[in-house]
Amino acid sequence: MTILGREAEVDALVTDAYLEALLAGRPIEVPDPKSPRDAVDAAVRMASARLTRDLPRFHPSFRFEERLALRLAEAAATLRLPAAAGGEADPIPFRISGPGAADPLADLRLLDDDERRPLLIRGAMAASALSLAGAAWVAWRRNRTASARMARAIRAAHARRAPEAG
Amino acid sequence: MARPVLWRAGAARKDAAPRLAHLDRDRPLVEAAQADPTQFDALYRRYLAPVYSYAYYELGDHHAAEDATEKTFLAALTNLERFEDRARPADGDGSSTFKVWLFQIARNTIANERRALRRHRTAPLDAAALARDPLDVERDATRRDEAAAAWRAVGKLPDDRRKAVVLRFVDELSTAEIAGVLGRSEGAVRVLIHRALRSVARELEPKPKPIRRGRTER
Repeated sequence: MTILGREAEVDALVTDAYLEALLAGRPIEVPDPKSPRDAVDAAVRMASARLTRDLPRFHPSFRFEERLALRLAEAAATLRLPAAAGGEADPIPFRISGPGAADPLADLRLLDDDERRPLLIRGAMAASALSLAGAAWVAWRRNRTASARMARAIRAAHARRAPEAG
Repeated sequence: MARPVLWRAGAARKDAAPRLAHLDRDRPLVEAAQADPTQFDALYRRYLAPVYSYAYYELGDHHAAEDATEKTFLAALTNLERFEDRARPADGDGSSTFKVWLFQIARNTIANERRALRRHRTAPLDAAALARDPLDVERDATRRDEAAAAWRAVGKLPDDRRKAVVLRFVDELSTAEIAGVLGRSEGAVRVLIHRALRSVARELEPKPKPIRRGRTER
């Protein structure tokens, strides 16, 4: 590196330290006249002060801010959807026996808070299983030969009444 | 307030040893948004004005700045899960790599907008946008003149110097952060800003009034 390049870098470093203090609102040390190396050029100080004062930060309109917030919320909901629908969830083995077998919420209670997001797929699995069990029970009831005396009496009465009606 | 924590930086390099890194001040918000994208709103509200300001200074048009801001945040949200925090101890307290990443997206978006706008040349920054004090018209006029002069001086800077100045003075990014946004070394950024300030100073220094060569009195 040339001497000029080295000097420019040192000047830039001193200016950077000065700007750091200026922008942070810290008190700026008065340069020591005996060590001009540490002093920031007066022109640079003036330009820095002017730019700090004259370059405002802009804020967009409230209307734009809210419109974009809404758009981002919609986009975020779309990004979230696959997980909520169970697309990223691992299947959980369905428990047939055990203390919580009859309780569709038993599986859910075992989950941590973080794992509750893919709830839909887990709820759907439990509900489907319960529906199948219910259908099987009804089919069994309909086909089962009743052994109770009362049931036999009702069936006999019903059989007698059917030809009369015909 | 940032505090140092130990964490493994750069998940791609599994062989790398854990190193001390500063906790990005945005890190909790970023992690929340990565886990649940609907939480992105907090990051959006924090950085809306800085990104919009940067876009406005670069594009000189409110509508173009709005477009660039919108594209920036939508791109950030869509790609947030790919964002990886790479804060270094050298970045200092309060450093935010999410901020650098967001401004990198903004810089690219603005570059595209500028290319599109070049076809329809926009007006320079409008000094009328500055806040006015209705009770002090004279002072207000002087302030506006001074501000317009400062804006003109910044507008005359070469592209990279202007970007560095806007990021430093308007968005108050650190030298390390600007280096990350512009893809330059910290030393190069310091020199860019130093030279930019010298150019601005030359533009702003009062010009000597031209001597009138009128008729001399007899």
